[in-house]
Amino acid sequence: MIWVNIILCGIITFLIRFIPLSGIMPRELPLKIKNTFKYIPLAVLTPIIFNGLSIFENNQYFIFENFKLYSALIAVFVALITNNIFATISLGMLSFLIMNNV
Amino acid sequence: MQNWKIFKQGVIEELPLQIGVFPFGVIYGIMAIESGLTPIQAFLMSSIIFGGASQIAFVQLVSNGIPTGAILTTVSAINSRHFLYGISMLDYLKNLPLRWRFILSYLLTDEAYAISIRKFINEPKELFLHFHLLGTGLTLFISWQISTLTGVLLGGNLPEFLELQLIIPLTFIAILIPMINSLSTVCVVITSGFSALYLKNLQLDYWIIISGIIGIIVGVITSKLDKKDDLG
Repeated sequence: MIWVNIILCGIITFLIRFIPLSGIMPRELPLKIKNTFKYIPLAVLTPIIFNGLSIFENNQYFIFENFKLYSALIAVFVALITNNIFATISLGMLSFLIMNNV
Repeated sequence: MQNWKIFKQGVIEELPLQIGVFPFGVIYGIMAIESGLTPIQAFLMSSIIFGGASQIAFVQLVSNGIPTGAILTTVSAINSRHFLYGISMLDYLKNLPLRWRFILSYLLTDEAYAISIRKFINEPKELFLHFHLLGTGLTLFISWQISTLTGVLLGGNLPEFLELQLIIPLTFIAILIPMINSLSTVCVVITSGFSALYLKNLQLDYWIIISGIIGIIVGVITSKLDKKDDLG
């Protein structure tokens, strides 16, 4: 049964990615729709960031001793200054390990 | 050979992200084994589904005995954002032969999209943009297979203090910060982020998609303010 689930999920995932590029969709999209595209990566990936920082769980905010949140803020700062992906991830992770183990 | 030069550029630009992807793949591999999947199932799922977050959700649901319908719905919901990626790349890829679009669809994941869409937007007249996505996508694919295999072989033997799951938000921060260059993009981040926290707390299966749609709507509405307040 696990194999069936894996294969069905694989087919569905591929179709989700393929249908927009398959030619079924209109080849020229209205300008208003095109203008929304620039917001898509921000709008769908930001929730993954917020969720990964455990800010709000079980109806409670978790801010003051949330080292993940502080590390993320440091990563935001590094990203703004350096615009370097490697530096952002490395310094964010390093700051978390230091805070969590001091 | 301009096409291979662009392919190589895609590979090189994708490589730094592997510092985030690799631990993610290792985590998935470990979780899959701990959830009762065989090593072959755990490893091959990474090429059959090829979607990190949805694979981790899959093994969690399987280990809890959740029925097929719920697993399919959850995986579809998590990966439905890739539909939006495809739409946003349609303009650049629509004239390619079907075999190219078939291959690129398979490779169209978060990290490949995030890197290649910047190239697509910045150089829309470039003829070989598809080679860039091929480069980012293949790099990610190979990294994902190797990291999954590493996780499968490691089993549950990693120290807990490493908190490898933190690398996922850090990776997306590194990708998204350069895209925040106007008042409307700031509004998108705030609304999609906080609505995600709220909606997930309500235990809605589609919290990622709903909060994403809220963010996009707010972005469109506030885009009228950008001409006056552009931060870029």
